[in-house]
Amino acid sequence: MTHDPQNEVSPQTIEQVYRPVTRRTFLKGAAASMIGVAGLMAALKPLLELESGSITLEELLQKRYRELKPEELKRIMESLAAKAEQEYGVRPNLRDLKPLDGVEFGYALNLTRCIGCRKCAHACLQENNQSRDDDDDLEMSYIRVLELEKGAINLETSNMYFDPPTVPQPDKYYMPVQCQQCRHSPCTQVCPVRATWPEKDGVIVVDYNWCIGCRYCMAACPYDARRFNYKKPTLKPAQINPNQNYLSNRIRRQGVVEKCTFCLQRTRAGKYPACLEVCPTGARVFGNLLDPNSEINYILNHKRVYVLKEEVGTAPRFYYFFDK
Amino acid sequence: MTESRKRHPHASRRTLRVELIAGGLVILGLWCWGQGNNQPAASAAPPKNLPQVARSVAQQPPIGDPADTHLDTTPPRLTHGLDLVKSGWSYDCMECHRLFPARWHYGGDHRPLNEHRDIILDHGNNRFCLNCHHPTNRNAFVDYDGAEIAQADVVELCAKCHGTIYRDWQAGAHGRHNGFWKADLGDRTKLRCIQCHDPHSPKFKAMKPLPPLRYPPRAAHPPETAAHP
Ligand code: HEC
Ligand code: HEC
Ligand code: HEC
Ligand code: HEC
Repeated sequence: MTHDPQNEVSPQTIEQVYRPVTRRTFLKGAAASMIGVAGLMAALKPLLELESGSITLEELLQKRYRELKPEELKRIMESLAAKAEQEYGVRPNLRDLKPLDGVEFGYALNLTRCIGCRKCAHACLQENNQSRDDDDDLEMSYIRVLELEKGAINLETSNMYFDPPTVPQPDKYYMPVQCQQCRHSPCTQVCPVRATWPEKDGVIVVDYNWCIGCRYCMAACPYDARRFNYKKPTLKPAQINPNQNYLSNRIRRQGVVEKCTFCLQRTRAGKYPACLEVCPTGARVFGNLLDPNSEINYILNHKRVYVLKEEVGTAPRFYYFFDK
Repeated sequence: MTESRKRHPHASRRTLRVELIAGGLVILGLWCWGQGNNQPAASAAPPKNLPQVARSVAQQPPIGDPADTHLDTTPPRLTHGLDLVKSGWSYDCMECHRLFPARWHYGGDHRPLNEHRDIILDHGNNRFCLNCHHPTNRNAFVDYDGAEIAQADVVELCAKCHGTIYRDWQAGAHGRHNGFWKADLGDRTKLRCIQCHDPHSPKFKAMKPLPPLRYPPRAAHPPETAAHP
């Protein structure tokens, strides 16, 4: 058991995280306290689920991820894999990849290059086993591709539903937004049960077996990067990516929050994230911030990068830049 | 030159060549050719019954980790190569070009008059064929000192005029890497310039976007859902 200092602090309210309180943060706080009622209901949900048989007693009594002994985790993963096979018809290769030594991930995105084709957002669905079988499935890709007017960065007037015959349109530019893997992550600090935390390699993860679905983290995130499973994911066997990881793309339960993990089932095995693999323009650059010769450090050293919503002080590990 | 044309846009013509040789069914062959021409261009999947020919790795190198079958890593452009098959016949450049000397300049629009009519240069100020193609060996490209650049090293050709972009490309900041970012765990592949840019008309081409996602649900309901409250 490693002791992570982040783990020791008691959960903070949104107001504490965003200090000083501005009108905006106050409003956010108010919104969060309304969600709080729903949160209480959600906290009671596991008991109801136990009654209805949709979770096992073992799952209910399971310890949090970071307290599990290796053999306990192994047993849980086996039972999760068996359950997934029974429910979805494919037995996943469920692993628990640990952060690599001397690695901290960083991501950069070239806004001059991006043409808004949405290939990244769709690849994200496929890689991360997102619900997409039914017509009323939400397709909760971790990536939102925003269309913006050229000349200004105004996220308020951005459009997510653009669908012209071809992209790029001459008067527009495009900005994919996903989890920024912040160094000062408000989402992890407001979690009342500490089911979400930053890992050593900078990736912020969620323990889906510990999350109570209160959605405080979603209210705290300035980037709208977290997603909530309103329903049990529906997937055909052929749609399932069997390369799964405990803290990332294994098929989630209903009622838990999920988010981009830089595809840690891939990146901790040394591979590029799925959104980068499919980008036709090469707008995405990913790598190890601690390796001076990495591609990401080439960008940080040679291009003028900026971060999204710098004023909120989250210090993202995701950078944007303009360059031919 | 033995290279499969599995992804070749003129692939259907190759089927034709086989037919010509096999049966001498010239008329049937021409008919097929006409059919082939009607097929949608490059993006259409080639028919399964194409003859498999060994292909040098440099020409259409595999992209990324073969295990990633669920991800569409197809590059924006399928390269043609120089040893083409046209109308069922080998279109080896030197079969014609060893017969006549190189011509540096053409009148008017600087284009050949009777062959290669489909090639229209739209490459900024780079307006001469032999800035890129080797004057005496048409199966290769030309370096600034007149040396040959092999087909497989086409990136070197672009590098001679686009030095800064080439440097970014080498560093992984222009173009795309696939596979493994961590070299000791697996191989990394790099897309070459002409897998994204058409050398004759290099401006990156517009494409159709994938459909919008349903998340987050639209605030204003689209007409069909508004119909029943
Ligand atoms: C920017 C350098 C450049 C210039 C200038 C250029 N080419 Fe090319 N050409 C290439 C490259 C690179 C290829 C290989 C394309 C591929 O593999 O997809 C090629 C391929 C070809 C081919 C065979 C493939 C095909 O698409 O039919 C022909 C024929 C050809 N060029 C003729 C010409 C002619 C004629 C001109 C002048 C009007 C010209 N090229 C100017 C770089 C150039
Ligand atoms: C069927 C015979 C034929 C083949 C095969 C052929 N060419 Fe040509 N090519 C010509 C002719 C004829 C011209 C001159 C056209 C003119 O003067 O109008 C020409 C001109 C050119 C030119 C313009 C420069 C010059 O010397 O005139 C380039 C570049 C070129 N060819 C490249 C290629 C490449 C690359 C290939 C192989 C993919 C190829 N050609 C294959 C017939 C051929
Ligand atoms: C002989 C020099 C030369 C070679 C070789 C060359 N280019 Fe160019 N390229 C140019 C020039 C000149 C321009 C126009 C620059 C401008 O207008 O500012 C250009 C422009 C471009 C552009 C921008 C086009 C646009 O409209 O935005 C691209 C992309 C490009 N080249 C790609 C390539 C690729 C890929 C290759 C290798 C197949 C290549 N070039 C080889 C000289 C060259
Ligand atoms: C993954 C696809 C991809 C690859 C590989 C790629 N490019 Fe590009 N390139 C692009 C895109 C996208 C743009 C942006 C187009 C635009 O701005 O209109 C671009 C822009 C350019 C430009 C225009 C820059 C300017 O200032 O306008 C040049 C020149 C260029 N590329 C050359 C190259 C060369 C040389 C290589 C190989 C060393 C290469 N590219 C490899 C996708 C690619």
